[in-house]
Amino acid sequence: MSVIAFILLGSVVLLPAAALMALRWAASSGQFRCPDKAALLPFDEVEPVGLETDRILGGNRR
Amino acid sequence: MIKQSQTLRALLPGDALTGGGTDVGNKAALSEIDASCRVPVLFFFLSGLAWLLAGTVLALVASIKLHTPGFLASWEWLTFSNVRTAHLNTVIYGFASQISVGVTIWLMCRLCRIPLVAPGLITVANLFYNIGVTVGVGGILIGDSTAIEWLEMPRYATPILFISYALIAVWTIVTFRLRAERHLYVSQWYLLAAVLWFPWLYGTAQVMLLIEPVRGVVQASVNWWFAHNVLGLWFTPIGLASIYYFIPKVIGRPIHSYYLSVLGFWSLALFYNWNGMHHLVGGPLPSWMITVSIVASVMMLIPVITVAINHHFTMLGHFGKLKYSPTLRFMVFGAVSYTLASLQGVASALRSVSEVTHFTHHTIAHAHLGMYAFFTMVMFGAMYYILPRITQREWPSNGLISLHFWGVALGIALYVVPMSIMGFIQGTMLNDAAVRFLDVVQFTLPWLKLRTLAGLLLAAGHGAFVINVGWLLVRMFEPYRKPVVRILTGEAETVAAAKLP
Ligand code: HEM
Ligand code: HEM
Repeated sequence: MSVIAFILLGSVVLLPAAALMALRWAASSGQFRCPDKAALLPFDEVEPVGLETDRILGGNRR
Repeated sequence: MIKQSQTLRALLPGDALTGGGTDVGNKAALSEIDASCRVPVLFFFLSGLAWLLAGTVLALVASIKLHTPGFLASWEWLTFSNVRTAHLNTVIYGFASQISVGVTIWLMCRLCRIPLVAPGLITVANLFYNIGVTVGVGGILIGDSTAIEWLEMPRYATPILFISYALIAVWTIVTFRLRAERHLYVSQWYLLAAVLWFPWLYGTAQVMLLIEPVRGVVQASVNWWFAHNVLGLWFTPIGLASIYYFIPKVIGRPIHSYYLSVLGFWSLALFYNWNGMHHLVGGPLPSWMITVSIVASVMMLIPVITVAINHHFTMLGHFGKLKYSPTLRFMVFGAVSYTLASLQGVASALRSVSEVTHFTHHTIAHAHLGMYAFFTMVMFGAMYYILPRITQREWPSNGLISLHFWGVALGIALYVVPMSIMGFIQGTMLNDAAVRFLDVVQFTLPWLKLRTLAGLLLAAGHGAFVINVGWLLVRMFEPYRKPVVRILTGEAETVAAAKLP
């Protein structure tokens, strides 16, 4: 039972604490600043916004 | 540039430290990242697909047995209970989880903008994982199942799996710490959370149910807390992370609202883990526990609608591209199914609905709407994007791609729609004391045969995909030829081609 009590109490305290720390870290490290910029993260100069990257089907053969 | 310890830096490939265009803190080229992921990601994808084939055969056997009980009846290790359980464990742990890890590895490297670090660690994790699933599924088939749903693998298999999950979590944290891109994209939030949640869920459930088992209703509660969170905190976040990356990437347009995506993530994190007890509606649990779960299930409408709006508005004006991109087809199919599965789930959580649908095929339909029409389709879409990039070869056959898509799209529709309707009627009949139980069974038979037909369509789709993947791998050993069909467009193609021998 002691192992279980440990896990339960550990989870109850540690998990919300971890979530709060993650939230705090995110806020303090500017993760929520400039959301428009964050939305651009999948793109770069090689594959910029506006470039389709998966044209395979439908007579696109050259 | 982020701060990194010397020990972690040592994990980066040699040329990443000494130049070669990828000094620490500088972003690596996409083609370089893709190439570095080749071997480990292929390991996860190929072993996952092997388990998909095994799971498909087991699924068909289970499905046939439900309307033709004499089928393979003389083999005791192939009883319905064994085969059904082996199906669940092969597709969940063997297939879906391994493809998830492959996709996670690739997405993490791409979004962190570094080549893959510690490939040995991740390969060992893959090896352990496959040994664990083989021992576990073998154990189920010889009758060693623990009889705890979603945790049926015998105790001698699970520690091997746990080691693997822990290694994957460690790898993800190391990659995150070494990232060259300081900002996190919403997909990384989902991936990091899923990869850290899962070992915790799995470890806790193992201790409380198998190592030092709790008793009575607590056992059922822990069981469904775990099983539900496998869906909500492991598969769902990885599925959503993929959609958030691939739809914008394929159509070349950023996500409609980044605010909404962050709101979706945090509300999912807040509400999903309260949901587990909705699987036990009507069970002998304190009713407040069930009520809390029902309320949390309804609250799930917030992240679900947030995600639906965001994806819909991102796609608006770009639906024509579904014609050209297999990735987009599978992703959009998956995204729409996510909304449908969740709405169906919210309804099934309500007491008045559960009274009818619980213990019926309606739940099986919902399970496949979620795990297949949403999750599996998204994973197929991701593999269509990733495989050509890590192998640097084009998909060999467009015909097989179409066969795959239409086989599984029609197959899963034929599975889910009739079974949802049938389950509802079945539940109404079961609740009517005037209807004999045997009549209810008779009523389900034609529908169950239809499900086998749907299963055959799905199997055909899986076959087409596996042949195409095999063909692609054969091409890896052929000398590189300039692609006939262009996947990588513009500059990207030049960069990729330049890397080849
Ligand atoms: C807000 C979203 C969702 C809610 C509220 C929800 C609700 C439910 C409920 C109430 C059940 C139990 C039905 C019964 O036994 O009577 C259930 C079962 C299930 N759900 Fe969902 N669901 C949601 C989304 C999903 C998603 C996205 C997936 C897949 C990734 C999924 C996969 C499953 C599976 C596999 C089962 C069957 C579990 C079993 O009995 O073995 N659900 N869901
Ligand atoms: C060839 C395609 C498939 C067929 C024909 C099929 C068929 C079946 C059958 C007959 C069952 C047992 C239902 C029962 O107990 O009454 C089942 C259960 C299940 N299958 Fe599949 N399946 C297929 C593919 C998949 C895939 C790819 C996944 C997940 C990635 C999946 C996830 C599940 C789950 C989670 C259950 C347990 C449902 C529950 O307990 O509520 N299936 N499937």
